[in-house]
Amino acid sequence: LPRPKFPEEPPPGPTRPSFWRSPLRGLWLTSILGSALLPLIIICAVTGFLSQAAYNPGLGHNSLLPDGGLGINLYFFHWPTSPSWLYAFTQGLHVISGLAAMPILLAKLWSVMPKLFEWPPVRGVAHALERLSLALLVGGSVFVFGTGLLNIQVFYPWPFRFLTAHYYGAFVFLAAFGLHIFLKIPVALRTFRERGVLRPLRPGLSGTVAEPYEEGHVAALEPARPTISRRALLATVGAASVGAAFMAVAQTVGGPIRQFGLLTPRSTQLDSGPNGFQINKTAAAVGIGPEQTGAAWRLRIEGESKREFSREQLLAMPQHSYDLPIACVEGWSTTQHWTGVRLRDLAALAGVPGSAEVLVESLQKGGALREVTLSSGQVAAENSLLALKVNGEDLSLDHGFPARVIVPGAPGVHQTKWVATMKFQAV
Amino acid sequence: MTRFRSAYGDSPLHLLAVLASFAIAGYAFLRIVENPSALGTLVWFGGAAVAHDLIAFPLYSALNLVAHRGIEGPDEAWEERRRVPLINHVRIPAFLSALALLMFFPLILGLDAANYEKDAGLSGDIFLTRWLGLCAVLFLGSAVIYALRLRRAQRGDEDESAEPAEPSPEGT
Repeated sequence: LPRPKFPEEPPPGPTRPSFWRSPLRGLWLTSILGSALLPLIIICAVTGFLSQAAYNPGLGHNSLLPDGGLGINLYFFHWPTSPSWLYAFTQGLHVISGLAAMPILLAKLWSVMPKLFEWPPVRGVAHALERLSLALLVGGSVFVFGTGLLNIQVFYPWPFRFLTAHYYGAFVFLAAFGLHIFLKIPVALRTFRERGVLRPLRPGLSGTVAEPYEEGHVAALEPARPTISRRALLATVGAASVGAAFMAVAQTVGGPIRQFGLLTPRSTQLDSGPNGFQINKTAAAVGIGPEQTGAAWRLRIEGESKREFSREQLLAMPQHSYDLPIACVEGWSTTQHWTGVRLRDLAALAGVPGSAEVLVESLQKGGALREVTLSSGQVAAENSLLALKVNGEDLSLDHGFPARVIVPGAPGVHQTKWVATMKFQAV
Repeated sequence: MTRFRSAYGDSPLHLLAVLASFAIAGYAFLRIVENPSALGTLVWFGGAAVAHDLIAFPLYSALNLVAHRGIEGPDEAWEERRRVPLINHVRIPAFLSALALLMFFPLILGLDAANYEKDAGLSGDIFLTRWLGLCAVLFLGSAVIYALRLRRAQRGDEDESAEPAEPSPEGT
């Protein structure tokens, strides 16, 4: 095959090995950062795909992705209802691991930056393909982590739908990531065998020496004097990672540590009252006003028969109370004490007492999640409620008054607020 | 095999792995290509790499260089001049503060505060205050550690200069 011809001598600037001076760059630093990143990215990816599974995308219009995600329904199982904190855990972990990975990712990109300018830019077919894949890896990592990070802050400066772009961007990123792992794990293992895994962390600044220069790798040819030790550099990156993770943990675990989340979007609360906990979308944000939720409101139930119930009639039915979380796809959650009617009791009233799915429709006019299909398992669970009260008080309008769904283990957006209609169907 | 290697530049396994990776990326690409905002997605995807590699990286490298020259001087003999180098006591809190800003700039700067406040029902003003507080704690903590290290180094100096005057306990 023809080889592209480049001048032997690289042009002045970053293409020359002498341009890169940091004595800390080298195979060991890159390997240790990569090793820290690997488990975080795996956790983030697995929990990300689990989040898609938690929407039960095979039911009704639950899938928010074109073509159910994969064109075939990979999510052949129904999302469980126990433990009730399941989605709070998996999605909390998604955002925690994602935030924890970001400082390490930036340090990792810094450590390999000389490779972007390596000379000659293309050495052959294999090399060209590998570099193309690295472009997908770098673009993909910044794109996927960046879109996720801005989404949790409800900041959307782009022209595309977040979910589609984040999901398929993750495919591109993970494809390039998988190849990168396959090609680089042998290099990292060799480096650890030669230099030890933690040995280079021992020396302080005065004992810090440059990693040996090897052609085609990232260590400096003419290293400057070190200005920081490897352990101080890694401690700084590690502190940033732990700090970011803690901010995410705080808004997931809640309670007294929530306020120490500092910069995460649900690290504060409205007030200390029974309805003072966090809201995904307020009534005002989706155009729900008291005129729709007043005395004229009726819950319509459809199944074998059609029936309507006022809020008073629902309150006169057997009431059950459970401590259950609402867990947002944006990674925050909050556990509250909910009281209401069991979904399975409502299914029986609709004349579908056996195994039944339910299509829940909200008063909400627009939005992809104004209707949701709950699985037969979610309808049957004893702690699945149409909640009327929280913490002993009527639901506030922002928390879904007159009635909202609370299903254990499910994503918050499936816990439909301002419920108008429930259509039960035997399965 | 040798002919393959010389033509391709690596082993057949390498080619297989590359093709598998591109197949998955290609699948994802096809899933968004009929999307009306496909071009926008690609621009942002490419822009992400450019923004990091060709804008953010040179910028923070230059800042680091300027900070080092400003604080420790232009030559490489800076380490001898100062008992305890100051640079990291500035650079580390600055890095952590900047990273926090980079990660949470939409909330800190209130870029779409109206949207956040409408959705969450919470005040968006708090994040700038909290970030400034975080910066203050980081720089203050770093300064305190620097002062402690400086004192320890000075004490070490005094001990060192005092040593020859002290008679040895063995009384040689």
